[in-house]
Amino acid sequence: MLTIDHLVKSFEGEKLKRRKRKQAQQSQQGDDALPSRVFAVNDVSLEVQTGELFTLLGPSGCGKTTTLRSIAGLETPDSGTITVDERVLFSAKGSNGNGRAVNVPANKRELGMVFQSYAIWPHMSVFDNVAFPLQVKPRNQRPGKAEIEQRVHRVLETMELRKYADRQATKLSGGQQQRLALARAIVIEPSLLLLDEPLSNLDAKLRESLRYELKRLQRELGITSIYVTHDQIEALALSSHVAVMREGNVVQLGKPRDIYQNPRSKFVAEFIGTSNFIPGTVASSDGGHYSVETTEGRLTLESAASMPAGTEVVASIRPECVGLHTERPGNVPNVWEGKVTTRAFLGDAVDHVVVVGKHEIRARCAPTVSVEPGTTVFLHLEDDKLSLVPID
Amino acid sequence: MRSNRAVRVMASIAGLSALTLVAACGGSPSQGAQDSGPTKAEKVFAKLSKLSGDEREKELVKEAEAEGGQLDLYTSMTSDVADAVTEAFSDKYDIDVNLYRASSETVLQRILQESGANFNGNDVVETDALEMYDLNKEKLLADYEGEGRDKVAEDGRFDGWTADRYNLFTPSWNTKMVPKGQQPTSWEDLADPKWDGKLAMELSDYDWYLTLREYWLKQGKSEDEVDKLFEDMADGAKIVKGHTVMGELLSAGQFAVASSNYSYLVQQVADKGAPVAYQPLVEPVIVRPNGFGLMKTAKHPATAMLFADWLLGDGQKALVEEGLTPTVPPPGTKNVLESVETVDVDVETLGEEEKKWSDRYDKLVENGTVVDQ
Amino acid sequence: MASVTTMLRSAGRADAAGWRRFVPTPKVLIVGAVIVVIGYLAVVPLYYLLWGTFFGADGFSLAGFGRAYGNDRIVGLVGNSLWFAFGAAILSLVVGTGLAYLQVRTDVPFKSLFFAASIIPLIIPGILYTIAWIFLASPDIGLINAALKPIFGGAVVDVFTVWGMIWVEGLHLSPLVFLLMVAAFRSMDPSLEESALMSGASRWTVFRRVTVPLVRPAIVAAVLIMTVRSLESFEVPALLGLQNGIYVFTSRIYFTLRTYPPDLPAAGALATGLLMIAIVGVALSSLAGRGERTYQTITGKGFRPRPMELGRWKPVAGAAIVLYFALTVVLPLLVLVYTSFLKFYRAPSKDMLTSLTLENYQDLIHTSSAMTALKNSVLLGVGSATIVMALMAIAAWIVVRSRIPGRKLLDHLSFLPLVVPGLVLGLALSFVYLRSPIPIYGTLFILLIAYVTRYLPYGMRYAVTSMHQIASELEESAQVSGASWWQSFRRVLLPLLAPGLVAGWIYILVVSFRELSSSILLYSPGKEVLSILIFEQFENGQFPVLAALGVVMVLTLVVLVSVAYKLGAKVGLKQD
Repeated sequence: MLTIDHLVKSFEGEKLKRRKRKQAQQSQQGDDALPSRVFAVNDVSLEVQTGELFTLLGPSGCGKTTTLRSIAGLETPDSGTITVDERVLFSAKGSNGNGRAVNVPANKRELGMVFQSYAIWPHMSVFDNVAFPLQVKPRNQRPGKAEIEQRVHRVLETMELRKYADRQATKLSGGQQQRLALARAIVIEPSLLLLDEPLSNLDAKLRESLRYELKRLQRELGITSIYVTHDQIEALALSSHVAVMREGNVVQLGKPRDIYQNPRSKFVAEFIGTSNFIPGTVASSDGGHYSVETTEGRLTLESAASMPAGTEVVASIRPECVGLHTERPGNVPNVWEGKVTTRAFLGDAVDHVVVVGKHEIRARCAPTVSVEPGTTVFLHLEDDKLSLVPID
Repeated sequence: MRSNRAVRVMASIAGLSALTLVAACGGSPSQGAQDSGPTKAEKVFAKLSKLSGDEREKELVKEAEAEGGQLDLYTSMTSDVADAVTEAFSDKYDIDVNLYRASSETVLQRILQESGANFNGNDVVETDALEMYDLNKEKLLADYEGEGRDKVAEDGRFDGWTADRYNLFTPSWNTKMVPKGQQPTSWEDLADPKWDGKLAMELSDYDWYLTLREYWLKQGKSEDEVDKLFEDMADGAKIVKGHTVMGELLSAGQFAVASSNYSYLVQQVADKGAPVAYQPLVEPVIVRPNGFGLMKTAKHPATAMLFADWLLGDGQKALVEEGLTPTVPPPGTKNVLESVETVDVDVETLGEEEKKWSDRYDKLVENGTVVDQ
Repeated sequence: MASVTTMLRSAGRADAAGWRRFVPTPKVLIVGAVIVVIGYLAVVPLYYLLWGTFFGADGFSLAGFGRAYGNDRIVGLVGNSLWFAFGAAILSLVVGTGLAYLQVRTDVPFKSLFFAASIIPLIIPGILYTIAWIFLASPDIGLINAALKPIFGGAVVDVFTVWGMIWVEGLHLSPLVFLLMVAAFRSMDPSLEESALMSGASRWTVFRRVTVPLVRPAIVAAVLIMTVRSLESFEVPALLGLQNGIYVFTSRIYFTLRTYPPDLPAAGALATGLLMIAIVGVALSSLAGRGERTYQTITGKGFRPRPMELGRWKPVAGAAIVLYFALTVVLPLLVLVYTSFLKFYRAPSKDMLTSLTLENYQDLIHTSSAMTALKNSVLLGVGSATIVMALMAIAAWIVVRSRIPGRKLLDHLSFLPLVVPGLVLGLALSFVYLRSPIPIYGTLFILLIAYVTRYLPYGMRYAVTSMHQIASELEESAQVSGASWWQSFRRVLLPLLAPGLVAGWIYILVVSFRELSSSILLYSPGKEVLSILIFEQFENGQFPVLAALGVVMVLTLVVLVSVAYKLGAKVGLKQD
């Protein structure tokens, strides 16, 4: 549905600009010696299927918003191709077969977008805000007045904003404004909906309820959506696929469960959820069965990664996958003995921090389990829950 | 790369504008006027000058009508005077007067600008002596001959222009602040320290300054004595811009004595009941002519000439009614200048050495001292 | 013509369609036209100024600088000019900003006075305002001094000093600051302040640490405009400064131009000095205004401006307002109205009251040129204000939003006319249009061009300040919604800009009524404007008629401005 191919977008950095100028003054050759640009998006390729909710996830500055804005047409990429439903929206010279550059302006792309600040026009009523995209369509495609009214009301109905139609847009509450922004984005029934951190301005409770509402709406309307967020819980809860981005690159792409359970790098493991990291060296590998030598002993585990013996690695395991036992479990590998130092009650779980040698390992247990600090315990690191990531 | 393009864009704008400018002007802003043979208007003037008396007036009226009954006049008369004069003229001959009124410097500047671009804005100009002198020097004024001009005293007939009224410089005072008998009786009186902080001088009266200075020197005073007198005058003096403001502030009591106001302005304020006076006159009264000239490029030459004839004839009455001093006193009016000693402003020296005297006067009123250059 | 195409092409390249071949869309046409018009208007007088300064009859020469600066007066000249300009700018800034804050953000009493207080001082022509202050604060005849003499035994205030000049100019300029700052405060989200209050900061700290930095772009713009305006102001230095020999650039330029033959190189050299000071000012202000982009405060999130309660400071603030109102509006207007009923100016006394007369107003009605002048002034004021603000709405978009190369230069370019003294502008325009094949000279159009040129800088400041405060997402969301550039400009940006544009429009309308220094050279018979008439009455010494004319002018403008406010409130962002 949406295909992004080798997208690159760079900016001339302020600092770099200054440094470059200084350099250029000092020596004539200095000009080329320095990288003059900051790459916000550096060779990103993606494929999004029809009807799915695809999330770009990453910390701020990772290029996710720039990617989204490039799709919207608000940024002009340096190179690459963006295609929606066979329609080439952007193609730098030479990126596609016939070598012609294409750049459809934002207002001709017929996409829907929800901005982080909602960007609701404060001088218009709720109705006018939603009607605007229909009213500005080219004359030959513009629906009649009655149809506009009907369509706007239908959308407002869906968003439960019908009764506020005549209200000044700025008089709505935060959640209503967010729904208004969404209504405006979907009123033209776009083939692709872009959402730029739409929930980040709301309080936690509202955010949670709107998150499910969003998912329901997206599923009901069947609109293919690109969702940008830095909130991993949002990403996991909403998406059919997640692309984790870092410094302009997609570092891992997959279903939420895959990414959560099998992070392919320490960065992903750390950014999504919490993880225990145990550094070590690959002692032997045999078709997915690994044996890793650590300071606290040997760990055996399963991993799809291919790491030759002798590679420095990190074994990672989620706290909820760490088994905590007061007595040594019999006849299983990867059992470490340690001492509980801290315990925290979280309501739906209890976290225990266990010191094993010089490592601190966090184990999350059912709320019924509670072990006094100071108690000696046995940690079971199940071999299929451990994953292997390279050292960054 | 980007900044290069920025420069290029802006350079294009600048280049475009510059092109327009060059195309439009084709010369430097400081270029002067050109001199060539007699103009169309000059030929008309020459032809009509030969006539006199009623025949002349009839012919002028006829031709003025043929010219469309329009007159373009630039003047520095104050607006009430200008309105009265143009109205009287319009009433008599049924001619529309298009009046441009501004300070004398602006009138001069406008004519220079227009003539530099061969734009014929006016037929007649009426303004101060200095500006008339400059206009004549620019060879913009046509010769004017006639009985009217012949009636003007010798020293009011200049090359290219003719005086139609006199401005009289004389001290004036606020009668509430200066008791009777205490008023200045001579120009030298103004240097008296008793007027420190009470005397006002005008910011650009270097014509008055030059004339009084020459008069004193002729009287046998030494340069040093004269400079000392002026320094004493300027010491503690209040400097006012504009003669009318001077009159108004004098009546309001901002200062007690004004050194060099025009008598008619003081008279105007006094007529309205303000406590100001300038009589008995301090002698000698310093007389500066104001004159008019006909433009070589006049679009309505006959009308211009008709106006000139009228201004020195019936027009003088209109000037008297406005309280001005005419150059050809109409019969039955008292000639104020007959019984008093007068000294004329040396228009030629003023015109030729304007910068020098205006700088000296500037220095005088600015620092209170005159420094020879 | 080649340059136009080059320019349009580069404008087109910055467009989203930059990768395609050049096609003139409405956007490119409009933007290109605005750049060309502004460039033309700004460069013509400057070109004339510089050409006249450096190229006399005998080619390139710097002699003008020698004549202008080559004596001991120069230190005093520059010193006085800067002292006066900064003083007036600071005074107007403090007063104007304070009042704007009180008006917009607090529950200060007497809010209805603000309307009059913000507009009337602008309407009163500089000549009248200055004369009114002479009548009030002259050491000899000032009413204030007369009233205080019994207590202090002498003249207390003296308007004929640099401080007096600063006082009059600063007060006269403060409404302009007020208008600029009101627009800025209006568009500021009060929750930003409230959050600071909640952090435990005192009101004063909040004002200093949060409010002021948030409106910094507007403040910087205000300081810059006020300083340059004061540098360029003529009436106050001429009427108040000359009496004690206090010269500034403009009075010196005036005298240099008056001589014959006009010493254009020397006047130009002085004007170039002004230009240099202004360039330094622009550089400093763009340094101080760095990072303006982060202060977009009209966001898509709604806010409800809720006035801050002043509490026990309410009476103090109320008293300050009344005092300001008395000083800037009541006193000068009273002097004006009082004078308009007199035969000649005299201090008020018992026997004076019996001789009041309506003669001056009757005179006016019978002066045919008065009606023509009124009509011309209204035409020119409305015309120039509309043209400038229309141009500047687009120009502000170019400067703030577009990525057209050289956009910042456009900003600076439109600032240039500010430093070209009115007299020089008049000379420049008459020089150019006397030689232009299009018959503009001698018509109202040449005055219109002069006014539009002179007021470009103010329009630019108003429009840019407003544009900075609109979040770019509001425009982007319109774009993504399918709106073309023109649609999003007209339906989203323009209404959001409206408060700023209306404020600028009103300002230009009002100041255009008193424009004198370039009008005097450019007007033609039958094309008089009110300011010319006022000047004539001034030259005639007809203060009473002048005052009557002033009263008529004030009333006319009050009507026009009220209408503008009403209309502006309809199109703009609704405030409660």
